[in-house]
Amino acid sequence: MPPAVLFLLRRLLLVPVTLLIITAALYAIVMLVPPERRAYLYLPPKVNPMDVLADDPLLQSLIEQHHLRDPYPVQYLGWLGRLVQGDWGWSLAARREVLPYILARTPVTVELLLYASLLFMPVGLLTGTLAAARRGSRFDHGVQLITSIGTSIPAFVMALLMMAVFYIGLRWFPLDRISDSSKIVMDTIDFQAHTGLLTIDGLLNGRPDITLDALRHLAMPAFTLAIAQWATVSRISRTFVNEELGKDYITVAHGKGLKQRMVIWRHAVRNALVPILTTSALSVASLVTTLYLVEVLFNFHGVSDVFLVATSQAAQFGTFDPAPALGFAVYTVFIVLMIMLVLDILQVLVDPRLRERFNRS
Amino acid sequence: MNFLRRLAYTLRRLFSRSQSVIAALIIAAFTLAALAAPVLSPPRDPRQPPGLKIVGRQSIGVPQPPTADLRLGTTSEQYDVFHALVWGARNALRLGFVVAIVSAVIGTLVGSISGYAGGWLNGIAMRLSDAFLAFPAVIGVLVFTRLFYTDSPEWMVPPTPIPGLLADLGLNPVMVTLMTFSWMPYARLSNATIQQIKHADYVLAARSVGARPRRILFRHLLPNISAPLIVLMARDMGGLVILDAAFSFFQLGGTVEWGQLLASNRSWLLGANGNPLTYWWMAVPFTVALILFGVAWSMLGEGLNEALNPRSRR
Repeated sequence: MPPAVLFLLRRLLLVPVTLLIITAALYAIVMLVPPERRAYLYLPPKVNPMDVLADDPLLQSLIEQHHLRDPYPVQYLGWLGRLVQGDWGWSLAARREVLPYILARTPVTVELLLYASLLFMPVGLLTGTLAAARRGSRFDHGVQLITSIGTSIPAFVMALLMMAVFYIGLRWFPLDRISDSSKIVMDTIDFQAHTGLLTIDGLLNGRPDITLDALRHLAMPAFTLAIAQWATVSRISRTFVNEELGKDYITVAHGKGLKQRMVIWRHAVRNALVPILTTSALSVASLVTTLYLVEVLFNFHGVSDVFLVATSQAAQFGTFDPAPALGFAVYTVFIVLMIMLVLDILQVLVDPRLRERFNRS
Repeated sequence: MNFLRRLAYTLRRLFSRSQSVIAALIIAAFTLAALAAPVLSPPRDPRQPPGLKIVGRQSIGVPQPPTADLRLGTTSEQYDVFHALVWGARNALRLGFVVAIVSAVIGTLVGSISGYAGGWLNGIAMRLSDAFLAFPAVIGVLVFTRLFYTDSPEWMVPPTPIPGLLADLGLNPVMVTLMTFSWMPYARLSNATIQQIKHADYVLAARSVGARPRRILFRHLLPNISAPLIVLMARDMGGLVILDAAFSFFQLGGTVEWGQLLASNRSWLLGANGNPLTYWWMAVPFTVALILFGVAWSMLGEGLNEALNPRSRR
């Protein structure tokens, strides 16, 4: 088998393994909760938990029915089975099924992440590489200064600054995902959700005004997320391109009389891309945290809505509502793993060692 | 004596950089504020949690500007901003230290033992840390608080003993979750370095005179890998406090007052009538404190890295 395929297969196999470890750990924590309390996870839809008291016979029958006194492995496998079948439970506070709720919000999050990535990945690579190529220059010092500020300023401070300047001060960009007028248009003209991404659906439906409106709403959250991540990518790129530039083959390339630009972009960057991608994979979890934070702050109702609604309403009415939290946890790990997988695929595309042998065989 | 001389040498190298001096001064200022908090801003009611102090009538509901008496005004809930700033330093330092130390100990134990043993144990430990790396800490707090902490009355939902147990240990859910999700970098780092140096001659020498694995690991190997771990701890300090503030914005009960009050006054921070600086006395102190705290610790981490790294020795 060609090495690229082997590499990807091994990476694909890691997804279920990691998911198993995480879900097993999660359910081990769930097991610390007494069965009477866990029975609330299985309340039939539309039963108001406020009506169910601790000594309610319904709880005892739920414990019987769902084997809540069985040993851990039995219960864990049962829960896992229901997860696989798509039964992620019912959120008492949000009054919705958890999985459909999460899935309905997914395109919003994907759209935000997509535009932010299109900004920070190339720009981060560019500034990091240029800084490394001109090590010690004023440009390098400038980039280093800005990136160290960028990694130190918390994302929520950046978001608040953005809102203060562009929303309150200049009134350039609005909050939310789409304006009310566009929402009315979408309701009236039989707007087809082909992809769920409003910027693309607007074009597909022949309504560029909706695309523009969605882009205007995307600007602040996407830029905030991009700035926070750009600093990280730029720093990583600078480190590894710098490392490559110190190697012998670069001296050889210079000796052959290649132009500086060729040496950097064709030789150094190409080799640096592999460690850049593997190191970036380590910060995916923090990327997702920032992504959720940005959604919350800019009223961008993405996946994070699920737990925000659930937590705020549950806190308000004092209900015990762990189903959306658990579902959200599993889903988030899945998202993180998917982003890591995309980075792995990119690695196959750029790593000559994996690719060239693939071409020859 | 030897240890003291090495410490003095490291400190001299550390403070030969002006950045490290600035970072240390900022951290010293936070530490002083934390220690002197009861003097700088005495709590009004000793039975209340000390970090927040209500001044004036809560029914006002609007942030009050600074006066001669209240040096930094109040938030919309009429909490004294100066009071929260000073006491927040206390909570920030405590959160950072406790979490960084505990997660460093856990991570180093997991990483070094598995690295020294090698084989399947190493495989399991590294798979485990990879899996935890894919799990954002926010989600951990979410699950943990949703499962164990609810406002439901006891007659309605049976209680669990977990919150009481943690409170006895002086921990809160945020600290526990941060510990659970911060040990992986330490494990990876110690694992990689132990594997590099475990075949060194001095390890072979120790083994040939009959030293047990535990003695080799704790007396010979760990002291040699402690420098990068200390650097990592210094870098973590700021990040942990900022993450805690982010928890406040997620309404997940962040513990440091800076983040708490920023999050609860979110709508006020944007100002009024198109002027974002209307309520500057709330926004500026807390954000500046958070940024300075983060920057100072990461600058100190950089400096320690230079000072402790033998390869950068001039």
